[in-house]
Amino acid sequence: MAMAEDKLVKMKQGAEQVSTFESGNEMAAMAAAQINYHIMGYFPITPSTEVAQYLDLMKSKGLHDIELIAADGEHGSAGICFGAATTGARVFNATSANGLLYMIEQLPVQSGLRFPMVMNLVTRAVSGPLDIRGDHSDLYYALNTGWVILSARTPQAVYDMNIMALKLSEHKDVRLPVIVAYDGFYTSHQKRKVDYFKERDVVQEFVGEAPKGYTTSIDKDNPTTIGAHMNGDDLMNNSYQQSEALYRAYDVYNEIRKDYEEISGRSYDILDQYMMEDAEVALFLLNSAAESSKDVVDRLRSKGVKAGVISPNIIRPFPAEDIRKALKNVKAVLIGERADSYGGNGANLTHEVKSALQDDKENQTIVLSRVFGLGGKDFYADDAENFFQMAMDAAEMGYAVKPFDYYGHTPGDPEKAFQQVLEPQTRDTYKTGLIKVTEDEESGKLKVRTPPLRQLTHKPKRFASGHGACPGCGIFPGLELFFKGIEGDAVILLHTGCGYVVTSAYPYSSHKQPFIHNLFQNGPATLSGTLEAFFEMKERGEVDIDDDFTFVMITGDGGMDIGMGSAIGTALRNHKMIILEYDNEGYMNTGSQMSYSTPIGHMTSTTSVGKEQSGKAFHHKDTAQIMAATNIPYVFTGTEAFPQDLVKKAAKAQWYAQNVGLVYGKILITCPLNWKSNDRDGEAIMKAAVDSCFFPLYEVERGETNITYNPESKKKRIELAEWLKYMGKTKHMLKEENKHLLVDFENEVEKRWRTLKVKHETPYV
Amino acid sequence: MSILPKKNELGFFEIRLESIGGLGANLAGKMLAEAGVLGLGLNGSNFSSYGSEKKGSPVKSFVRYCDADTEIRDHSPIEQPHVIGVFHEALYKMVDVVSGLSADGIVLVNTKRDFDEVKEDLKLEYGTLATVDALKIAYQEKTKVNTAMLGALYRVLDFLDPEEMKKVIRRTFEKKYPHLVEPNIRTFERGYEEVIFKTYEAPADAKSKQFTRVQPKLGYETQPIGGVITAQGNSIFKDLSGSRIGFLPEYKADSCIHCAACDTVCPDYCFVWEEGEDKRGRKQMFLKGIDYQYCKGCLKCVDACPTDALADMEETIGYADKNRVKHNFPLVTGGVQ
Repeated sequence: MAMAEDKLVKMKQGAEQVSTFESGNEMAAMAAAQINYHIMGYFPITPSTEVAQYLDLMKSKGLHDIELIAADGEHGSAGICFGAATTGARVFNATSANGLLYMIEQLPVQSGLRFPMVMNLVTRAVSGPLDIRGDHSDLYYALNTGWVILSARTPQAVYDMNIMALKLSEHKDVRLPVIVAYDGFYTSHQKRKVDYFKERDVVQEFVGEAPKGYTTSIDKDNPTTIGAHMNGDDLMNNSYQQSEALYRAYDVYNEIRKDYEEISGRSYDILDQYMMEDAEVALFLLNSAAESSKDVVDRLRSKGVKAGVISPNIIRPFPAEDIRKALKNVKAVLIGERADSYGGNGANLTHEVKSALQDDKENQTIVLSRVFGLGGKDFYADDAENFFQMAMDAAEMGYAVKPFDYYGHTPGDPEKAFQQVLEPQTRDTYKTGLIKVTEDEESGKLKVRTPPLRQLTHKPKRFASGHGACPGCGIFPGLELFFKGIEGDAVILLHTGCGYVVTSAYPYSSHKQPFIHNLFQNGPATLSGTLEAFFEMKERGEVDIDDDFTFVMITGDGGMDIGMGSAIGTALRNHKMIILEYDNEGYMNTGSQMSYSTPIGHMTSTTSVGKEQSGKAFHHKDTAQIMAATNIPYVFTGTEAFPQDLVKKAAKAQWYAQNVGLVYGKILITCPLNWKSNDRDGEAIMKAAVDSCFFPLYEVERGETNITYNPESKKKRIELAEWLKYMGKTKHMLKEENKHLLVDFENEVEKRWRTLKVKHETPYV
Repeated sequence: MSILPKKNELGFFEIRLESIGGLGANLAGKMLAEAGVLGLGLNGSNFSSYGSEKKGSPVKSFVRYCDADTEIRDHSPIEQPHVIGVFHEALYKMVDVVSGLSADGIVLVNTKRDFDEVKEDLKLEYGTLATVDALKIAYQEKTKVNTAMLGALYRVLDFLDPEEMKKVIRRTFEKKYPHLVEPNIRTFERGYEEVIFKTYEAPADAKSKQFTRVQPKLGYETQPIGGVITAQGNSIFKDLSGSRIGFLPEYKADSCIHCAACDTVCPDYCFVWEEGEDKRGRKQMFLKGIDYQYCKGCLKCVDACPTDALADMEETIGYADKNRVKHNFPLVTGGVQ
């Protein structure tokens, strides 16, 4: 339901503002929409994804003109942003955690080549182990990238700093990209009362026109070389220029924030200081934790303790002089950091504050450093109280007993340590002997005999009950059906995605056999390393000669977007393993953003349906054909609605993976939550997807295509609309006004189906 | 003069909604907060518990209200709320939903049962219990549970104006789904009207129910390095029955032909098989029953069943426990709870 009406607030001076009740992510999107950037290149990652989602939703309503480009990964998104920035266009991005790390190679390119842009870094713990919640371990990687970094403690600050950031970035004395960093979930998702400018003209006037006169890649009258390579003599000078520019950003920020205060009434001094005038003990904290600690300062002050909190609004450039002044008379300061610089005796800001104090020869402040709140571990008032107590103890004693430590870690109870639960279910358990695969000597093709499914219920499931998938999730029947066709032991790797997340939430596992997770750029490469090491150790006699595994790399369709390069590389190397993709036509784990496998017109959270756009703009990726083009021995498609077909293909897949090389299989599965279909309709939807020829069941065996179920010859073919009608995400496609979309989709499906039939009828096509 | 009936030390009136993903508690929390902030000029914040939880998993939504001039700097989850709304009754099996309730607090529960039964399951000793059969209202009006709960919450939070929320409902639906306006208004009104209250007197020395922060099961001395889990398959100890919202499959063995179509489509591996002999004395697999501990109630199996051995059934309390056929997992002997 929509929000209540925005309430009008008249500022005494300055422009008219309205109050709303929104989160940090919504306010970042709001600022970007008002600025009306030219380009946003992005890739979804929690908790920053919503920024792109809100912008897409606004775009579908015609509220801005930003070209939103869904990249193939964060590395690609940074490339899109860099390329766009070279034209002089205004460019925007948002990311988190490993998204930042995946693009990090590009960040010094953006800053070192001096192209302005703004990126929101919605801070989150860096893997591994994977943790989707907030800390600053990603932000600390950004410290050395040469970007200006602003830190926003509240949704209000996210909005305000996004407006100031662009002006700062484009300023003639700076010309550097800017990060606006705010806390994942605490600031990105908590809704607060926020004021924003009613008219976007006010924002646009404040940031001004993009300055002219700088190099662009599309200026034919002044052609330039962007990205020359250098030697040290020259690189020293380039770096010096960059270093000077970053320091100049300090004064420029100070000017801009004063101008901004004029129009907004809100001030963002270099340091946010709370009760620091006469403070004897202080906490130095970044972002939301600083806010929470202010309540504790009030409480301590009422008891007569002279406590205060410092939190910088800008950390690159690092405001050393301001910090020296602020801490001048403080007896003890505790620097709490939501990240560690492992082995560094304190994380980065600890050392930066210490080095700032070092330059004041008279300074006597005792510095304590604590790593806290990693991976979104909550920070409560009593934690802030404990921090102050540590500072007070140190002030009293005149030194810190433990200058650096972790805070909030717990030893655990030996009684609750892991105990093995199930007897290991190993080769005999999974070997039914009921599946027979033989090679036809003449054709080189395989013949498979599989028993009725009833008999295969004897084989235990590879995954354990108790996983946390949604009701009606298609992943697990799909995967388990595939594994019914696999005999013996398996080593399974799941990419990041729903299938992984719901089976591996610490301290619970729904895996019975050996299992590995790796981030989804890299699953195929990872498992290829595992299996080659296994074979190498086997050859050296270091593992039991009888040990045998089928290596199965499982990914969603998202993993086949960001991990396409890894998959193709692994296929070209032809390792003896299986890549199994469960395709639910979107990035469901992060909240249903479009994938390249999302069909045209389908609604996702980044392909909204509104008056200005109708779902996804381009056709679905044909991953099976892409993989077939790598000339691997076996490619197949399958679904739970045709169980015998899938079990047979799994048996063939195992044979090829054990005897020849890489196998790729795609199973289509239902996502009732994000397809907006009934939980119980999964099998019917899959059947309709096949019978409408959207998802043909076929295999490419040693280069020859074989359609394993032809709905036409069975007289079962149905209209595409018969499939689409099951799903809320495609309802709009059946309306008269979207007829062109449906026709376009039908034509594409028909074209691919006919091509497939020709391939089926003609070997070697 | 503040319109808030009570405030804690920081000046907040706090609400915690306990639900499972998919019932719309998050949206209800957002609407409550907005009604206070944008409608009544209060200050406020709203957020949810976050994780990778999927539909059907426990979730919490938090609302803080305070007077307009009070600053909200606290980000932490609400531990001692004045009001708790329980959207899904079966949650009490998985979560201590009333943890931290203040001594004069109110708990609203979506239930069709009697006060005393609910009180016992929630282990509530005192305070005001409010109940409403939101599921029935939503079912009858073909709307959503959260709208009925929102109606009931408006009755509990009597400083909010229900007429304003009706306007919001009208505005939300009238453009795109005009036929949904009246059913939703009725759902809201019925929630408001049909909620009933019972107060259990608190003894004079009653204190707030102590909130207990959930502690991790393992620690740095017990956690294997690298985050490895060395107890493969231990998710079998999880009880997912709380994910069901009203229905489960009923199994009638007499009509079963043991074709395994149900087993093929089941996302949660609930079907329990055992080896036996067929009429000719050959070894064969037979479906023994359903392990309801893992059943999330999607009912795919009912549609897959070629006979009438599986059917939709409205779940009554106790049915699943009584009719559960336990999986015969090869548990390691000794040591495992």
